[in-house]
Amino acid sequence: MTSSTQAPSPDASAALAVEVRHLVKRYGDLEVLRDVSLEVPEGSVTSIIGASGSGKSTLLRCLNLLERPDQGDLAIADETIRFDRNPQGGIVGLDRRQLQRLRAKVSMVFQQFNLWPHFTVLGNVTEAPMRVQGLSRRRAIERAEHYLERVGMADKRDGYPAYLSGGQQQRVAIARALAMEPRLLLFDEPTSALDPERVSEVLGVIRDLAAEGRTMVLVTHEMAFAREVSDQVVFLDRGFVGEAGSPRRVFEESRDPRCRRFVAPAA
Amino acid sequence: MDFSWLQDPFYQEYLVEGLINTLWLLVVSAVGGLLLAVAVAMARIKGPRPLAWLASGFTTVIRGTPLLVQLFFFYYGVGRLLEDIPGIQDSVIWPLLRDPFFYGALTFILSVGAYSGEVIRGALVSVPPGEREAGRAFGLTPFQVFARLWLPRAIQLCLPTLTGEMILLLKSVPLVSTIAMMDLLQAANIIRDETFLVYEPLTLIAGLYLALTVVLTLVLRQVERHFPGMQPTRRRWLPLRRVETAPCKH
Repeated sequence: MTSSTQAPSPDASAALAVEVRHLVKRYGDLEVLRDVSLEVPEGSVTSIIGASGSGKSTLLRCLNLLERPDQGDLAIADETIRFDRNPQGGIVGLDRRQLQRLRAKVSMVFQQFNLWPHFTVLGNVTEAPMRVQGLSRRRAIERAEHYLERVGMADKRDGYPAYLSGGQQQRVAIARALAMEPRLLLFDEPTSALDPERVSEVLGVIRDLAAEGRTMVLVTHEMAFAREVSDQVVFLDRGFVGEAGSPRRVFEESRDPRCRRFVAPAA
Repeated sequence: MDFSWLQDPFYQEYLVEGLINTLWLLVVSAVGGLLLAVAVAMARIKGPRPLAWLASGFTTVIRGTPLLVQLFFFYYGVGRLLEDIPGIQDSVIWPLLRDPFFYGALTFILSVGAYSGEVIRGALVSVPPGEREAGRAFGLTPFQVFARLWLPRAIQLCLPTLTGEMILLLKSVPLVSTIAMMDLLQAANIIRDETFLVYEPLTLIAGLYLALTVVLTLVLRQVERHFPGMQPTRRRWLPLRRVETAPCKH
């Protein structure tokens, strides 16, 4: 194995929501993740930062297996992922049942929101709890109303996504993710597609979620925000973990020259 | 113009039968054809390679040959071949295989499957993939993603085009008069042969077709209007409302 920087957990005694060991992901000849290990304790906020192409989004998408890794071990939300492997240990398949179960416990918020345009706001939020978790319509609606209220979108419940601003759509997408009452929330550059004046309304919602102790992994370019809300920051660099630790360590005390250069504008 | 023959109960019966057959054939062909169209579209997008090739070849052949030729091919060709299969004339499906309705429906189902299949395929590939990905990420099964998210969105995108296809289908129906099926045109032909009046029965069924088209258009326009995610623009002076797909903000 090549050098891998283990992210030290802020509180070693806490249970882990995510445990990633020696993850490798390739697209053809391109090795996007070369050897990534990561631990996310229950109830903590982890930000993944790094330049474009460093593998941030790929790493995040491996956590709910939207991308299937080529090598490595994953344990997420009490599921030790059972991969089918070839004799060399390369991953060739996975257990569909477990996949569905995992995804019901891990929610994702996308850069492009990815709301379902033919459903109302309420329909977007009730769909997965009803179809995946088997909630009754009535209970799903109660839950949806609760979380729409939380993100300040309750008054738009009967509207369609196309008639909302980007910031509003992203807040609905966050409510949709929360309505699954997930063990783990993944954010994939949640503000990158927003107009600058809309960024703060979405960051405000995420900040509140961090404050109530939800387990979150966040890929972001908002350095100041990452520094403010994170318990742990991971700097990804060309498929490796370049630096990991407390925001202070990554933003102020890093000895990795590329990390220092990357965070310099925010430090 | 002499419309006195309209009083004749025999002719009335022909016309009613022709109208019912026309509508019935339209409904059967539309439902069967659209189901086939979805299957053809999915085979071309997601099917294993041989199936995708098969679907593509089917589309090329059906779209590349005249509908009337196809109708004759199935009725005179396939229909006559079936006759020679030993025992088939005693089987329970023989009444179906003897009926020109069967061959008309078969031809139109294949035709709608090919033409609308291409329309639906185009619509399926233009649904932003992120919407499906979101479904997968929340743990929906592949079938749920298809049936709840992907296909409804594709139909939303191509509904106006499908409406046009259905109107074209309605006006293809008179072709079955050539295989001795009692549709509206066949009823008019009989009336013409017996009364020696040419324009009056043709005018009548032309008017009926026009009325059917207007009704079909209005009904499908309502479907478009009430399709989720579509919102009508403000009312115009015409009774028909403009429908727009919700603007895509991606």
